[in-house]
Amino acid sequence: MITNEIKAKIRAIVGAENALDSTIECFGYSYDSSFVPMETKNIPQLVVRPAAAEEVSQVMVLANEQGIPVTPRGAASGRTGGSIPLEGGISLSLDRMTKVIEFDEQNMMITVEPGMRTIDVYNYAAAKGLFYPPDPGSWKYSTIGGNVAENAGGMRAVKYGVTSNYVMGLEVVLADGTIIHTGGKAIKNVTGYNLTQLFTGSEGTLGIITRILLRLIPMPKMRNTLQMMFPQLDDACHTIRDMLLTGVVPATAELMDRVSLEAVARYRKLDVDPKVDACVIMEVDGDTKEDLKKQADRIETIAHKNSVLEVQVAASQQESDEIWAIRRGLSSAIGAMAPTRLGEDISVPRDAFPETVRLIRKISEKYKLTIAVYGHAGDGNLHPSVLCDLAKPEEAERAHHAVDEIFAAALSVGGTLSGEHGIGITKRPYITKALGEAGVNTLKLIKQSLDPKGILNPGKIW
Amino acid sequence: MKNTDKQEQYLKKAGEIVSQCDRCGACLPVCPLFGAKDIEFSSARGKNNVARGILQGVIQPTPAAMAVLNFCLLCRTCVDNCPSKVQTDEAMIALRQYFAEKNGTPGAKYKALGNLMKNRTLVKFSAGALKVLRKTGLNSLVPHGMAPGEFTRKEYLASFAGPAALSGSVPSSPVQLAKKAKAAYFRGCGMHMMFPDAEKESIAILRSVTDLQLVDNVCCGLPHLAHGLRGDFLAMAKKNIALFEKADVIVSDCASCSGTLKHIGAYFADDPEWKDRAAAFSQKVMDFSEYLTHIGYTPRHRVAAKLTFHEPCHLGRGQGVKKQPRELLKAAGDYIEMKDANVCCGGAGSFHMDYPEVAAAILDKKRINIENSGAQIVVTECPTCLVQLNKAAANSGGKFKVMHISQVI
Repeated sequence: MITNEIKAKIRAIVGAENALDSTIECFGYSYDSSFVPMETKNIPQLVVRPAAAEEVSQVMVLANEQGIPVTPRGAASGRTGGSIPLEGGISLSLDRMTKVIEFDEQNMMITVEPGMRTIDVYNYAAAKGLFYPPDPGSWKYSTIGGNVAENAGGMRAVKYGVTSNYVMGLEVVLADGTIIHTGGKAIKNVTGYNLTQLFTGSEGTLGIITRILLRLIPMPKMRNTLQMMFPQLDDACHTIRDMLLTGVVPATAELMDRVSLEAVARYRKLDVDPKVDACVIMEVDGDTKEDLKKQADRIETIAHKNSVLEVQVAASQQESDEIWAIRRGLSSAIGAMAPTRLGEDISVPRDAFPETVRLIRKISEKYKLTIAVYGHAGDGNLHPSVLCDLAKPEEAERAHHAVDEIFAAALSVGGTLSGEHGIGITKRPYITKALGEAGVNTLKLIKQSLDPKGILNPGKIW
Repeated sequence: MKNTDKQEQYLKKAGEIVSQCDRCGACLPVCPLFGAKDIEFSSARGKNNVARGILQGVIQPTPAAMAVLNFCLLCRTCVDNCPSKVQTDEAMIALRQYFAEKNGTPGAKYKALGNLMKNRTLVKFSAGALKVLRKTGLNSLVPHGMAPGEFTRKEYLASFAGPAALSGSVPSSPVQLAKKAKAAYFRGCGMHMMFPDAEKESIAILRSVTDLQLVDNVCCGLPHLAHGLRGDFLAMAKKNIALFEKADVIVSDCASCSGTLKHIGAYFADDPEWKDRAAAFSQKVMDFSEYLTHIGYTPRHRVAAKLTFHEPCHLGRGQGVKKQPRELLKAAGDYIEMKDANVCCGGAGSFHMDYPEVAAAILDKKRINIENSGAQIVVTECPTCLVQLNKAAANSGGKFKVMHISQVI
């Protein structure tokens, strides 16, 4: 319960207009982009929108004293319920903190506030000739703070890695309001535990990220896109494997199965040849046109050895954009195909990709449910989407069994529960299976030491 | 049909639409309202989920919820940018109708506005009253600039004519003028009431290319449809369908009117008596610049003015008419494309009167973009946009003027 007195104190910190408490306003902060059902109990009692770390700190001092749950939030584009305030309390929205604090060209680093949208970070760096590679599908609308808190991945991971590979340091407000700084600009840094990596991907349960120091790399001078259609999913997977084995590393290698292609075809002018079973989209980058052509030629040769039906190398930026629009619109297009989409995010060793897809197809047949499979084939991260209607109890049961088996399949091939979306609420039931009891207890010990009252994002991860 | 059944029907329609929303958030950074008031319920995701919350019983259909659903420009920017193309504007219209049925009225303000627009005599009377206000200089006293000053074609030519008006003749178009086609002018209430000079120019241009029919039509019904007066909308649509049966083409110089009229067919798809007539009517509707480009119209003059275009939501996103007005303007002056030309100006029917502060914040971004373009004249094709842009022109301290396309081509 947040009393009027506490609300007044919070309003004095952040300004009256930045602490919302009407039900209809707070309702907007009770959901995210996951399939977690809406519930009245998830509506926060107060939405607080601070503008600076100092304000966050003062709010946390109050919350800690009073034992008020605080759920940090960026753009709520997460897919595992990470920003849903399960125990009400405060939804701490960092979307007003959008500034670039420093651009350090000499060291190729940028310091930003968490509410900045990821694409704006990319564009800011790009305007200076530098490259921030992580590009989650949501990068036009997700915030960099959310990306760091969830350790978001993206399509360029195969060549460039994920968010955590670029986070050099953080400013974090702890549960009691203490402000700490982790990491720094020194490339080599083994002074103490690596808290930067601990907070990256901690899903808002250990502290509130208020400032982020990111490493940048030189921007590749040019890039191009290839789209390949395969008669069999295995052919597509083998092409990616063969390509990586021979040393061709594209910036991205995205795979979509037939169901995914049909989902996109509903919204775009796209005719899917009935012979096509899978589509792979790749981006190659480099310094010269010859560089790109060489890579594209090698990929094409490998694809032909694997029975490719059609290869399209984009001839213009427009063609390239069109190909990518298909992939970027995919997640939501699939979501719109059924009343409920249980969109999962498993990650497996690269060589287990075809085997995992086969296992998922068996699950799809076993439970008589459409499961769209797409993902970042180049790095082993798959997004099986179970399409169903959870309002039908019998179907819901089948769907949940299917999800259980998808996770079991991922673990059976040496994979893990999440590649880039985090555990949040939706994967809590599976975490012990993945980490073991001792593993989960170790996580809990860390949580206990940083947030003894358990006020930060309660109900998540375990 | 019982009223409760009607309520159910509108809720169901909205439910079908919003169930397609994946809650991803792609609509947030593009929504002009969210750009002015950046809290969740301003966005399409926010509104779609208020609808979903009502349907699932998570929140109640209170006046506060209704206010959220009214707080939408219906500009369709979200639809354009949505990966699943969720028709948020249609869901909002259905929900407003739901609340109107539930409360027995859309509320005194919209009811009064609806009655004014429904009545031809009152529309004419208002036009006269606004003219008097403008002449006497009292228009600045009218709240929210509903009687904006108008920069006329005469003034425009006096300002920008000169040698340039004679040089640079416009190449004639190879398209044959379809003079035999019987075109009729659809007189929009907003154009008639607020911009009579522009209306006069539209008619003059149309008369120069066709044997124009003037029909004493009634309102297109969009204000009614947008605010829960669907019955009035359908009744007026029937009147208009009957009135224009002899025309081959129906041309409107108001983007909202032409956009609405083009969709009338869809509203009668289940009505055996009106279905075919309504469909035939909608198929004959053309927007002003769409029609002129189609028949190969060449502007009456080319002047040395720098022109830019503000694309009305109901023209660009609503009808896909984007190239045509720009082509005409390129032939009529020095055309400059401004940044975010297709972003809503904040007018949106009566939105600018209901939420003047938010509308002003949205408009201010538009003003900056117009100023940065360096254009002397910003041209548009919708009376509400003209009202808004006139306010922007005043706020710019006279850096630019505002005109309807018919006044510059």
